[in-house]
Amino acid sequence: MSIEEGTFVQKYDLLGCIQCGRCTGGCPVTVRTPLNVRRFVYDTVDDDVLEELSEKPEIWDCTTCNTCAIRCPKGLEPFEVLLGLRAMRAEEGNIEPTAITALESMFNNGNPWGKPAAKRMDWAEGLDGVRILEEGEKADVLLHICCTAAYDPKIQPFVGKLITILNAAGVDFGLIGEEEKHCGSEARRLGEEGLFEYFDEENTELFGRYDVQRLVTLSPHCFNSFKNEYTNLSIPVLHYTQLIAELIEDGKLELSKEVATKVVFHDPCYLGKKNLVFDEPRYILSKIPGVETTEFFRSKERSLCCEGGGGKMWVESESKAPRLAETRVADAHDLGAQTIAVACPFCWLTIEDAIKAKGYEEEMQVKDILELLGEAL
Amino acid sequence: MNIVVCVKQVPDTSDPDTEVHIDGTGRGVDQSKFSFVINDADNYAVEEAILLKEKHGGEVTVVNIGSEAANQVIRMALAKGGDGAIRLDDEKFAGSDPVALARILQAGIKDLSCDIVMTGCLASDDGYGAVGVALASLMGLPHAAYVKTVEVLSDNKLKIGRELEGGLLEMDEIVTPCVLTIQTGGNEPRYASFKGIREASKKEIKVMDLPATGLSEDQVGEAGSVAVMVQYSVPEVGDLAEILEGDPGETAGKLAGILKDKGLV
Amino acid sequence: MHEIFVLAEHRQGELRDVTLEMLTLASQLDSKVTAVLLGSGMDAFASKLASFADRVLVVDDPMFANWNAINAQAALVALINKDKPHMVIVPNTGQGADVLASLALELGASFTSDIIGLALEGDKPVATRAYYGGKINGRIEFKDAELYMVGLREGAIPAAEGSKSGAIEKVDNPVAADATDRKFLDYEQPAIGDVDITQSTLLVSVGRGLREDKNMPMVEELAGLMGADVSGSRAVVDAGWLPADRQVGISGKTVKPKLYLALGISGAFQHVTGMKGADLVVAINKDPDAPIFQYADYGIVDDLLKVVPALIDKLKEMKG
Ligand SMILES: Cc1cc2nc3c(=O)[nH]c(=O)nc-3n(C[C@H](O)[C@H](O)[C@H](O)COP(=O)(O)OP(=O)(O)OC[C@H]3O[C@@H](n4cnc5c(N)ncnc54)[C@H](O)[C@@H]3O)c2cc1C
Ligand code: SF4
Ligand code: SF4
Repeated sequence: MSIEEGTFVQKYDLLGCIQCGRCTGGCPVTVRTPLNVRRFVYDTVDDDVLEELSEKPEIWDCTTCNTCAIRCPKGLEPFEVLLGLRAMRAEEGNIEPTAITALESMFNNGNPWGKPAAKRMDWAEGLDGVRILEEGEKADVLLHICCTAAYDPKIQPFVGKLITILNAAGVDFGLIGEEEKHCGSEARRLGEEGLFEYFDEENTELFGRYDVQRLVTLSPHCFNSFKNEYTNLSIPVLHYTQLIAELIEDGKLELSKEVATKVVFHDPCYLGKKNLVFDEPRYILSKIPGVETTEFFRSKERSLCCEGGGGKMWVESESKAPRLAETRVADAHDLGAQTIAVACPFCWLTIEDAIKAKGYEEEMQVKDILELLGEAL
Repeated sequence: MNIVVCVKQVPDTSDPDTEVHIDGTGRGVDQSKFSFVINDADNYAVEEAILLKEKHGGEVTVVNIGSEAANQVIRMALAKGGDGAIRLDDEKFAGSDPVALARILQAGIKDLSCDIVMTGCLASDDGYGAVGVALASLMGLPHAAYVKTVEVLSDNKLKIGRELEGGLLEMDEIVTPCVLTIQTGGNEPRYASFKGIREASKKEIKVMDLPATGLSEDQVGEAGSVAVMVQYSVPEVGDLAEILEGDPGETAGKLAGILKDKGLV
Repeated sequence: MHEIFVLAEHRQGELRDVTLEMLTLASQLDSKVTAVLLGSGMDAFASKLASFADRVLVVDDPMFANWNAINAQAALVALINKDKPHMVIVPNTGQGADVLASLALELGASFTSDIIGLALEGDKPVATRAYYGGKINGRIEFKDAELYMVGLREGAIPAAEGSKSGAIEKVDNPVAADATDRKFLDYEQPAIGDVDITQSTLLVSVGRGLREDKNMPMVEELAGLMGADVSGSRAVVDAGWLPADRQVGISGKTVKPKLYLALGISGAFQHVTGMKGADLVVAINKDPDAPIFQYADYGIVDDLLKVVPALIDKLKEMKG
């Protein structure tokens, strides 16, 4: 990529950095990789070295967990610099083959999983209460499913739970159907700014076809993109935990069955640190009969990333050190939690894997809040 | 070094969840649940062509037989570094076997001056692996199939490595102009960024129908073919794994037998 | 009776198995079977082929010591024009596919490639081919012609025992001059030691079901017996039982072996994505509901720690 002079400095406000190091100090992946984000903020001031910096493997270690941004006293978003460097690689076409496969699938199929668009609704087979909206049709809520939930057989069941819950609460909602597309979040995290912009345009146009009041997402990653990164999207965006908390509060959702388990909630980075939605998931958990909750030492703003986001699904770190998700699971184990509750498909996958890796399958489980709600209904 | 590279758009049926259903005619398949991609081997051919261009100069022309939907794979190839494109599109081309396809390709590129014509060594949908060699024969050029490495020795000579069974490379010298059918794995196909694809959309794709090729109806499609697929059928093997029953000694014995029958051990 | 020519394939002093498979197929077609052997110092191969063919036509000349598509085509054109067989079968391999289409076009033959079955209906051949990665088959009919040609997929037809005793006929090399447009140089062996599993033909792949590092030698022994490489799921790579370059899956390698033997792999979506291109998948897993069975052709529902040692024994027995 030919970088115009000063682009980086301006775009990321690099001159605002006082080199205090709080970003690197809080960065969770430093325990397993050589990534030093402060150093990148410093070095990228010099346009001449950008090319060289973009070739450093550790720019792919960042999980975009937002910790550095939360900690920065100058209000910068240090990790965005790393995404800028990734973008240089992507534009040159010089990225990991696994990332290429995912990105090409986003372009060809509208999802990163190499699945045909025409199979996007296969999860709904045999489910009642799934309404696909026609153009111009009215509904209170437009429900966006997310690629991972639509295609990963481990996550698909949660969608059914969400459908049941919304129907039980009498929510007037509809879906897009096979035309639903990737939100673009992971495209952007993999450095594909152009592709992200494409999804921004396409999805904004798509959502505009319906007469809906609110857009509700299953995944925090979609939530974040729609809410903060889309340029022209005017409908309010909610994560499902926000909608369900509202339904419970309004007395529209009755949770009657006892779910006796000790739960610790793992804040998904894109819901918590990125969008400061900390209370709603906890409120929901507190309303499930029988659930006993406990908190991680590192929770909310200080919550430890599980390494599922930031395009990490497709780019593996070389590090042999334990994955952060394993640390997280070990912490939960120390707390005596039987259930790690999550509210994100990526978290669910990484934590499930870590539970197995630690050999804790007998003692604990990962559950999406939707699964717990399903049991309580 | 001018290179023509032939690319095909194929359904991505490698996904284990993709079902292939034979349609009512028995001669086609239901394509409604497919997604479409560039044929794997063609993707490597595109990369090889662009690597050669980057090293030795010249132009890369992308050639495709397909409908407008195939512009997607053509544009990706253009975004990676292709200079021009030709798409051969006519209903009459349907049902062509490798000979008819080669004839159509030949007609499409006859006015180009090129040093190397590349095709993928095999299309993942019909698996013929014969178009490139047939094209060479029609063009009266030397050829080599299953080429994994290409090195330019001089103005009119290449050193190539043909990948044989078991990964053995047969190193040959071949003069140009020639036709090479490219095997997967010899390079790392680059990524065509979305911005690149958008820019490539500005490059012209020359579309040629049957009259434009100068061919007659009986030279293309089934009429122009020497062998015709007349009926699809479902192979006997079931969808789910065939579970081998018995105690470990028995199941291991059965498995060893199967592997031996299939020539795998 | 019709005559069928079969182009024998050999390489580096070895007759390749596909030759016997083609001769077996030709023998099932109620025709006179002629094996065509182009090579240098071919006596031993010729006598071996004699028990599979009614006639062995040998062109023994240094020109054919190594494969060269141009020389081979010139020789075959001359031999075919002289004897006018009804059909020619070539292997659908790196050699056969290098000559089939151009030879057929030069001779005006009706042909198809990569067949998995062949029959004669009356005088005319009818072939079976696989489409869409073997998900469906197709029946191929040929345009009327003087000569039909097919390329037979390796391993599609099991070779029978040879029961013929054909005559060996040596003919002079009909090709006047060695090709100048294409020349054989040498062979390069694939690099050994540093295994690239994306290129492996056979893979024994292990998952967390292996339980412990100390079971790895058992897996390596099995792979060694089979001539396979060892790969694994991310779980075992994470555990440090295998180096990272052996990981199959979305964040590892995408592999396309002829055989993928999955031991104690559950078949997670992220894993399956990397091995879906395998020709044959065999899974051994304790869990009958493990998703890997949906992607496998054969399955054994049992403890791999019991089945693998038994399999090692069987393979040793087979090797004698
Ligand atoms: C971001 C991300 C990326 C990922 N990328 C990849 C990737 O590239 N590749 C990959 O493989 N995974 C990847 N995964 C992990 C994937 O989701 C699975 O967790 C992983 O593949 C599981 O590995 P496994 O099948 O070996 O283990 P498990 O899922 O734990 O399965 C073990 C299996 O062994 C069986 N078993 C146990 N004991 C025995 C026995 N004695 N005999 C026989 N069978 C037995 C069990 O029934 C079970 O089915 C990724 C996950 C995430 C979150
Ligand atoms: S976003 Fe998270 S992982 Fe990335 S640099 Fe910041 S703190 Fe580190
Ligand atoms: S925390 Fe902010 S100000 Fe401090 S070093 Fe990092 S980017 Fe600079």
